Amino acid sequence: MNIVAGFDVGSLTSKAVIMKNGKIIGSHIIKSKPRPKDSADAALAGALADAGISREDIKYCIGTGYGREKIEFVDELVSEIKCHGKGARWMMPTAETVIDIGGQDCKTMRIDKDGNIGRFSTNDKCASGTGRFLEVMAKVLNVDIDELGKLSAKAKDPITLASTCTVWAQADVIKYINSGVPIEDIGAGINTAMAGRVAILVNALKPEGDILMTGGVAKNIGVVSTLEKLIGKRIKRARKADPQIAGAIGAALLSMEKMAS
Amino acid sequence: MNVFHDAANQVEFDSITQWKKEGKPVVGYTCSYAPAEIFHAADILPYRLRGIETDGMEVGDTYFGPFICSFPKCILQLAGKGKFSFLDGAIITPGCDGMRRLDECWRKAGEDINGIVPDYFYYFDVPHKSENHGMAWYVEEIKELIRSIESHFKVKITNDKISAAISEFNKGRRLLAEIENLRTRDDVVVSGTDVFAATVAGTVMPRDEYTKELKKWATALKKRKTSLSKDKHRVMLVGSISDEIDLFELIENTGKAIIVGENLCFGIRYEGNEIKEDGDPVAALAEHYLGASVCPRMYGKYKERLAMLKERIVRSQAQGVIMQNIRFCDLHGAENALFERDLEAMGIPCLRIEREYGPHIDIGRMKMRINAFLERMESSEKRAAASAMSAEVSVSA
Repeated sequence: MNIVAGFDVGSLTSKAVIMKNGKIIGSHIIKSKPRPKDSADAALAGALADAGISREDIKYCIGTGYGREKIEFVDELVSEIKCHGKGARWMMPTAETVIDIGGQDCKTMRIDKDGNIGRFSTNDKCASGTGRFLEVMAKVLNVDIDELGKLSAKAKDPITLASTCTVWAQADVIKYINSGVPIEDIGAGINTAMAGRVAILVNALKPEGDILMTGGVAKNIGVVSTLEKLIGKRIKRARKADPQIAGAIGAALLSMEKMAS
Repeated sequence: MNVFHDAANQVEFDSITQWKKEGKPVVGYTCSYAPAEIFHAADILPYRLRGIETDGMEVGDTYFGPFICSFPKCILQLAGKGKFSFLDGAIITPGCDGMRRLDECWRKAGEDINGIVPDYFYYFDVPHKSENHGMAWYVEEIKELIRSIESHFKVKITNDKISAAISEFNKGRRLLAEIENLRTRDDVVVSGTDVFAATVAGTVMPRDEYTKELKKWATALKKRKTSLSKDKHRVMLVGSISDEIDLFELIENTGKAIIVGENLCFGIRYEGNEIKEDGDPVAALAEHYLGASVCPRMYGKYKERLAMLKERIVRSQAQGVIMQNIRFCDLHGAENALFERDLEAMGIPCLRIEREYGPHIDIGRMKMRINAFLERMESSEKRAAASAMSAEVSVSA
């Protein structure tokens, strides 16, 4: 059996994807544990159960993400930028620009027809413009992170956050909550602040062709729609797979290429 | 080689202890625009101030505040913690505004923390233009520096002594240029990490000892046969001030890259050229240090700096350029963006990263970006090889 796997052990979530002959047969997302090794083990166990196979069936696997170096059972390590590029092109064969917002960083990249990366840029050392920013804000608002994105559509008078620094913004949000500002308006302000940070990075790269967003934040409709306005271009939605597992898909696809070579 | 790594990886090392035992003074300086030969001529050890070994920032943050480059802050932190207690003097130079502020921050910190300002503490001004009055001003600054050293240390710095110092420094420059040539070959026998350690060591070691050690090392290198560049991407490292050997290691320890050149404040860009050994030695020093305009602190010389970088890329066969700038380093932050625009247009892949200096270097984030960049280089090289092959096939057909 030509079965391969890809792991993306990130700072917030860990993802595993198992592929057979170019098709996903199992995947799993977990909230990352303190130790990357434990995260990889748990994600793998979930994906194996999903695929109904055992670990021995996997012929090759590639690891990516911040915890990649601690995954014991991978055959090779590859950067998440390369994996997201590869995964994005598989999810949408016309994609030429990829925006990936991960737990602790944000990346934009140009890719060629094979999903190989060209120019790319990443955010500075700061939590603003990352999934961690949204996670912290959702916690302060006491809403589920998946619900945060939907608040933008219900907002009537969105707030403006004076700072995109996660710590200062958190203080601002608490102030608005205490002043009785509707939660929708605060949520919309958070999504806009996030989109604003990402837009700077995207515009600097001069995006061309179809734009695809990957990573967990791609599921936040509030951020995506504001980002579209700010960059003046449409961001396409991939239906082929969950955008959050794009990096793990890319890692699995690279494993396949390795098997074929 | 260990002698260079010892000097490059420690603030205080054996040669300094020995120098001090002989009762001779050490004077720290902050910028590559300070003519170290003047101190050598007075039998004073010129010691380039560094930020390595910083393990906190309470002193640096107190006097500098948060919105400034971490390099001068690290120097102040080390001074505040007594790490530079071996210094008999220090001269501060306005390499950039952050470094200029080190002068006032160090003096102010000295009011609160006893004994951290050396007895001899001097501000050495450097113009931002080399033309006309800029050069005349700089010559005057050197002469004033000479007078000041003579007065404080009770020494006489004659033109003959300066000429002898230039001659001694030039020996090291020639040897570094020879080593630099080895890095341009198809098979590179020396790592970028080792060359950089040797270059940094030259800014802190007694020069006679340095020349002797460098000669031994250069001779040994020329006999080396094992290629370190096989199957590796040849990269150049440029940007903000760096004396961090571990930054070079971070790149080369990926196992996928060799650094074949650097354009850094501590690097070969100053040491590669000799200083004229005939005529007025002060004029020769001024011409060398101010005339080259190799740092973005100098006005209106971007085209010259780009041309120099291109020439070095071609000579070293670098296939990609890693550009780093320390946060709040506007000079290199802006220039890196221009370099990236112009080099990418020529088909040279570039990676631009903003980072903190030294102990604050965020290794995880840096590693991910460097690895991704090397993967990008691999793809471009494969594409180039494939198109070259198809062109060859169509020609032979």
